[in-house]
Amino acid sequence: MKDYLYDGSFDGLLTAVFYAYTEKEPIRLFKETSYRPYLLSEPVVVKTEMDKSDRVYQGICSRLSHTTLTNIYYLYLSEIPDSETLAFEYIKLCFKYTDTINLAKNNDIIRTVDKYAKRVLMESHRLKGFVRFKEVTPLVFYAQIEPDHDILPLILGHFKKRFSDQHFIIHDLKRGYAIVYDLKEAYLHDLSIEQGEKLLHFTEGDPFEELFKSFYKSVTLEERINDRQRRSYMPKRYWKHLVEL
Amino acid sequence: MELQEKLEILSGAAKYDVSCSSSGSKRSSKTGDLGSVSTSGICHSFTPDGRCISLLKILLTNYCIYDCAYCANRRSNDITRAAFSAEEVVDLTINFYRRNYIEGLFLSSGVFKNPNHTMETLGSIVKKLRIEQGFKGYIHLKAIPGASQELIDEAGLYADRMSVNIELPSDESLKLLAPDKKKQDIFAPMKQISSNIVLHQEERKKYKRTPLYVPGGQSTQLIIGATPDNDFSILTLSQKLYDKYDLKRVYYSAYVPVNTGAHLPEIKNPPTLREHRLYQGDWLLRFYGFRAEELFTEERPNFDINFDPKTNWALNHLGHFPIEINDAPFNLLLRVPGIGVRSAQKITSARRLAPLSYPDLKKLGVVLKRAQYFITCRSKYHGSVDLDEDKIRHVLTPKLDLNELDNPYEQLTLFDKPSSSQLLLPPMHAKLLLVEDRPTALTGEI
Repeated sequence: MKDYLYDGSFDGLLTAVFYAYTEKEPIRLFKETSYRPYLLSEPVVVKTEMDKSDRVYQGICSRLSHTTLTNIYYLYLSEIPDSETLAFEYIKLCFKYTDTINLAKNNDIIRTVDKYAKRVLMESHRLKGFVRFKEVTPLVFYAQIEPDHDILPLILGHFKKRFSDQHFIIHDLKRGYAIVYDLKEAYLHDLSIEQGEKLLHFTEGDPFEELFKSFYKSVTLEERINDRQRRSYMPKRYWKHLVEL
Repeated sequence: MELQEKLEILSGAAKYDVSCSSSGSKRSSKTGDLGSVSTSGICHSFTPDGRCISLLKILLTNYCIYDCAYCANRRSNDITRAAFSAEEVVDLTINFYRRNYIEGLFLSSGVFKNPNHTMETLGSIVKKLRIEQGFKGYIHLKAIPGASQELIDEAGLYADRMSVNIELPSDESLKLLAPDKKKQDIFAPMKQISSNIVLHQEERKKYKRTPLYVPGGQSTQLIIGATPDNDFSILTLSQKLYDKYDLKRVYYSAYVPVNTGAHLPEIKNPPTLREHRLYQGDWLLRFYGFRAEELFTEERPNFDINFDPKTNWALNHLGHFPIEINDAPFNLLLRVPGIGVRSAQKITSARRLAPLSYPDLKKLGVVLKRAQYFITCRSKYHGSVDLDEDKIRHVLTPKLDLNELDNPYEQLTLFDKPSSSQLLLPPMHAKLLLVEDRPTALTGEI
């Protein structure tokens, strides 16, 4: 057995898929940074090659479908430990049986792919609601999040469209980077926790935070408290950055 | 009065309105505008009662000239009254929106002076938000029953969704509990909004520049349990509203006793399970192709709370079953208890490649606990008991009698009469957790 290690970029993953495809023995794929050596397998470091990754990308687009490519991208963003190996198995399965295999919702690989993709999509949808901006200076806003999956690229378009007349930064503390919007363009940029802390200093004493807290309290129906239902819609792991809680 | 105190009073007064969804609209926005709408709706937070916060839900004022028996803001109640100024509403909306606390504004109001004056003020605030502030977020506006046609016509140009609350499901109940309101006053604006929507949609097909008119459609709310109306008449009313006025949603709200009065029931326990079953019934009407007449009979005009409405229907129509999973059309699959829209879609998708086996069904998300009695798979019946109404009813009946648990007049406690199986009763507010099919109806999505 061989373990292919890539640099953590999507192109790196596709390059690894390219080389893994010709191997006869079972292959597992991992990010180089999160890899723990395993006694029975031989690690192989794959260098990202744009031409190889392009070939895989184009191959999936033309011979499979855009939906399949999107699924692979979601698997990549999910950062679930076995997701890259699953992506590889999924690509092999689709090329073997053509893209119609995606209809087989009872197939274990397809099911797991759907499950992971749904988790990523679900979280990106949730965070469109759970991001809480704090005002740094008038019309400049800063928010911190710690999502399970790497969803910043998925929510960028939404926030850019919605808040197109205000500067904002959405900071993923876990992954150390952020969406930055400067009234013209929204882009992804590295941002450390320390830099984030500095920004946070300027945001104290926002009267609207207090107002929202009291709104949150007063709309609750005491007669119908149902904490389990609240937690199922809004799991506790997100509470840290929600000002109303 | 401080803004904070006003907000507490006027959001607290609006909380009995359950509608909070922010879906269905399609207002477009350009770069440089503030705000956008999301077709699926977005929930921004959830309160401890498990309901979603999607919109800043407030009353403009809780002063009211009416004296509706069920309402917390009725004229004869001795409560603190407050009113927002237009600037305060605009300021709160914009600033909450910019911090991503909300999807937009839900603006309702007590009726002050007269319906026309109230509607005019509501309309002017919404107009201010849209035109002066260029706000492109979601706006849900109440239409005030009795307001003039012109005022409602104009308000609809700025709102994404409008709603008129019917509250009481029948004419008799209305006379009893809300004698100031007339039935035709409630239905007139509803009818008018729905015909305006159709008109504008037709116009838009011809002229692209026709303004949007209530693009998110309209909704309404019915109070459950304050009057003796049965489930049959409630769902028949909803069905009429969906058919005739093309309503997007009918909300059901278990009556929470905020007042006491001669005509009001003395409820100790809001009938939340009944509300849940009604939502399920409502879903059957909108997404599963059921008609209200099918779900009830003359003798049984109420749901048996122990079963979900589809199981109820299936048990009363066992002749339609079993259904063969591998060749039944989509609309028949939807009629099987335990098969929802998603699992039906997965079944029709997967069986195009190969016939499904029984273990496959579990993988597709079918709830076999209920579905097993109503299906065959490759011609084989897999139910744990025979296809017989009494036997199936027996195995599907929950251990705790939910009908008893949802009884509004009696709050069961550990120390009550030692009848039935109430030794390990959960706290009342947790009773919704006992039903297997969790309520999803109260979120802002869909």
